[in-house]
Amino acid sequence: MATVYNWQLKRDMAYLYEGQRPKRQIAYVFDTNKCIECQTCTVACKTTWTSGKGQEVMFWNNVETKPYGCYPLRWDLKTLELLGEQSWEGETYTGKTVFEAAPPGERVLGYRPEVEDYASPNLGEDVIAGLVEKGAFFQGVHQVWMFYLARICNHCTYPACLAACPRKAIYKRQEDGIVLIDQSRCRGYRECVKACPYKRVFFNMVTRISEKCIGCYPLVEQGEQPRCVQTCIGKIRLQGWLSAPEAPRRDNPIDYLVYVRKVALPLYPQFGLEPNVYYIPPVHVPRDFLVQMFGPGVDAAIAAYRAAKDDPELLGALLLFGNTPRIVTSYKVQDQQAIGYDEAGREVVRVPFQEPVYIRPYFDAERGVYRHNIT
Amino acid sequence: MRKLLFLSLLSLASLALAQSEVRVRYVNVPADAFPAQDPLAALWQRAPVTRVTLLPQTVTTPSLTAPSVPWLEVQALHNGTQVAFLLRWPDATRNASIDVDRFTDAVAIELPLDHQAPPSFMMGHPGGRVHIIHWKAIWQEDLDQGFQDVASLHPNYWVDLYFFADTPVPLYAEGEFPHHPAARSFKTPEALAQLSGAYVRNPVSILDRRVPVEEAMAEGFGTLTSQPKQNATGRGVWAGGQWQVVISRPLVTDDALDAQLGPGLRSVIAFAVWDGGQQNVGARKHYAPWVPLVFEELPQ
Repeated sequence: MATVYNWQLKRDMAYLYEGQRPKRQIAYVFDTNKCIECQTCTVACKTTWTSGKGQEVMFWNNVETKPYGCYPLRWDLKTLELLGEQSWEGETYTGKTVFEAAPPGERVLGYRPEVEDYASPNLGEDVIAGLVEKGAFFQGVHQVWMFYLARICNHCTYPACLAACPRKAIYKRQEDGIVLIDQSRCRGYRECVKACPYKRVFFNMVTRISEKCIGCYPLVEQGEQPRCVQTCIGKIRLQGWLSAPEAPRRDNPIDYLVYVRKVALPLYPQFGLEPNVYYIPPVHVPRDFLVQMFGPGVDAAIAAYRAAKDDPELLGALLLFGNTPRIVTSYKVQDQQAIGYDEAGREVVRVPFQEPVYIRPYFDAERGVYRHNIT
Repeated sequence: MRKLLFLSLLSLASLALAQSEVRVRYVNVPADAFPAQDPLAALWQRAPVTRVTLLPQTVTTPSLTAPSVPWLEVQALHNGTQVAFLLRWPDATRNASIDVDRFTDAVAIELPLDHQAPPSFMMGHPGGRVHIIHWKAIWQEDLDQGFQDVASLHPNYWVDLYFFADTPVPLYAEGEFPHHPAARSFKTPEALAQLSGAYVRNPVSILDRRVPVEEAMAEGFGTLTSQPKQNATGRGVWAGGQWQVVISRPLVTDDALDAQLGPGLRSVIAFAVWDGGQQNVGARKHYAPWVPLVFEELPQ
């Protein structure tokens, strides 16, 4: 075991290999407040990557309803139960990670799902957290909460799948930090399936080896965001590059959201993998639940997010979501517009803070028709 | 270096542990009468039985914490050109399918490439290569029952379409379930690309397997590599709570990656057994360290 620094836990931790951050790290920010669980991302991923034989119930991307939704079944509850008490002192995690809590003879603490656990990919959909009082009616604020959690591989800095593979068939690419399973080297031992606490590695019963999200690397290599990001109609996703924690760049929208303003938080950071999908937490959900899920930064993240409308730099970063297929590596705010640039410094997106309003006449004389919607 | 020393000590300890040897009995039979694929042949009665104690693999992680197979019985025959090993072990459950939570029964033999200085029995070590021959129950099932496909595991799966699959009949026949193309009907590069393991010719993902065994080589933990040239064959049957598996190969091959064997040779052999019902897989296995292996001379 080596000792590595996990910035999300604010401390050193044990990991099987020496820490070596990639040249750049793929990272995503998902705004849970905007997700409507239309599953367009899920279908885009499914039709692109997992429509083959043996992938019938395999979803590299899924969207589940929290608190009860889960795919595979109870993935989060099971790992949380296995891990036992998880405690934070301020911003420092004082509990054990899945690496530190590994039982004798194991590299990682984990469990392997059963085949039935994958059988209901959208179990718990739209199920709310409690009961609705008799006679209740909608008064502008929902009385019982739920929210949608979109999930993909976190392309972790310290992947548990990679650590668990006895064949070193899993690797993290130096050029972009994407975690891949070498399909010619894997022998289907399923140690990775067992180790990944997010259960983002899947076993293919036909090829008899394991498969996982590939971060749409053929797109990313061409400067384009992955399919799940491009197709998101709610514009909840932004993919980009996360700098090393000691060198954040303020003009990098991912760095700004994650490191500078800290509005986007990792999912279950206490597992210790330093996951690289960051979530803007839902503003309406009980804080205890959110702290368990996203760590101690929840209150500050929600406060900053709520104030975004009066915060041009933050608003600008949020407006880049879903407005370009290109990967935005830097941005600036100018004249009430958010402007995004690609790696070569070319402008790839320009979003006004306020969409212009065009009022068209009620009667269109040219076409001889009346308009019902004139804006 | 310290690891090597540790493994060498383990090897010495294992030799001390071994109470007997595997004697490869010479039988004067032609190739077609040699039981290369017949674990139930009467000829096996002529081979002495060696019982080998199996140990749970706990040297490296992941390890086997709950062993379930206490021993393995070995018999061996050669006819001057071929060698066959009959391996018999108790296993109450026959596990010959694979899914996320299903594991196959399996057995393997290991031979050193250098008979004078065998490397670590634990998959060899860097510079000390071993030759390993695997047999797996699911591969036997692929041969006996046809490729173990989605329909074998989940007969009620409903799938609208598999992209690019070569379907001899329409996907939907009137009033019937959709036709499910077998994995073997994925032939074009576009179709095979949907089966990434098969597309890159991963030896685990072979759709048209011809033998239930695989020849591999290794130089330490995690280095198992399928050999480009496959010379071995075998067959396994399960009955009455035990597996009987034959693994056979030519004594001498033109493959530089194979251990070369022959009459009069004194070497060593090691074994591994996986109990699929107990989720044994990979390093989670039972093993027996080097056991002396003696080939009988040809009669003068």
